[in-house]
Amino acid sequence: MRDDPSVIALVARVVNGDQQAWNEIIERYSPLVWSICVRYQLSRHDIDDVGQGVWLGLVEHIGKLRQPAALAGWLATTTRNECLRVLRAARRYDPDGLPAEDLMPPDPDATMIEQELIEAELNAALRAAFAELSPACHELLSMLISDPPPAYAHVSQVLGIPVGSIGPTRARCLDRLRQSPHLADFLSDTAGDVGVREAGR
Amino acid sequence: MSMVGAGLSDDELLAALQKAVAARQAVPAEFVASAKNAFAWHNIDAELARLTYDTIRDTGLALSNRTEAASIRALTFTSGHLTIELEVGAESLVGQVVPAQTALITIQPMTGPEIDVQADEIGCFSIGPIPAGQFRLRCRSAAGFETITGWITL
Repeated sequence: MRDDPSVIALVARVVNGDQQAWNEIIERYSPLVWSICVRYQLSRHDIDDVGQGVWLGLVEHIGKLRQPAALAGWLATTTRNECLRVLRAARRYDPDGLPAEDLMPPDPDATMIEQELIEAELNAALRAAFAELSPACHELLSMLISDPPPAYAHVSQVLGIPVGSIGPTRARCLDRLRQSPHLADFLSDTAGDVGVREAGR
Repeated sequence: MSMVGAGLSDDELLAALQKAVAARQAVPAEFVASAKNAFAWHNIDAELARLTYDTIRDTGLALSNRTEAASIRALTFTSGHLTIELEVGAESLVGQVVPAQTALITIQPMTGPEIDVQADEIGCFSIGPIPAGQFRLRCRSAAGFETITGWITL
């Protein structure tokens, strides 16, 4: 979340020219940028344009971020601004055509961005925790979250474990996931409530 | 206060994980790759010229109309110091640096060797054949300013 020490460390490495750290930031946050573009219903061409603006902007600004830990917030805001820029450039965004301010919910865009941000940070933490599970747990949970969900008999056959032990192993692996330090921030963060419930649906 | 650890049942946690993994999988590989490539800019002094106009984007001109004479694709890149105009012809690109000045234009493909062309005293240059893949243009003006366009795919 906002004071994630791993983000601060990544930013420091990027400022020192570490491409690997940059790649980790991209892996972690490209879904945030992507999902905001999707919320603005941009074409693929426009999303690439926004992406270019956001990432080049980050290259330029990453050494000047006053709060490196707030990187995700900076990305969300920049992505929103880039989306609006692209929409304006295409003349598809006409501020005069919008209803009067008192007829609109209070800044729907900002609310949407905040939701995407909370969700993206939870998702990134979940993926990081997931990546560090034991290979056996990773394999089992990967199968269980595939779409459509596989029958236990199939899981048993593929992984070579008895059907009867899938349930207990699943519970044990999910417990390990819960205990991951990546998710620790979400235990104490007051802003986590909406995001966790949203993502848990 | 709800918690990931204590607040979610196993089913909810698994569903949250599924959603988190799906959110990453929804991002196209090329989008991620070009984001990673953007880091190449961190030690480049040149100024970025952003795409500020594209007939396809800004007029909704469809690619299928490109063969019609009236619908030549035009792109404009703008930086703080100059503008680079590009027109996509049948077999070549015709460009102009504005304000008019001599400049060295380098075509930098994502993969493959770079090619230099010279912009004349009114800033005009020509690139042929049209680069096949993603590329960008680097412009070194006689006055010493360096400008690089964003990545272009035609």
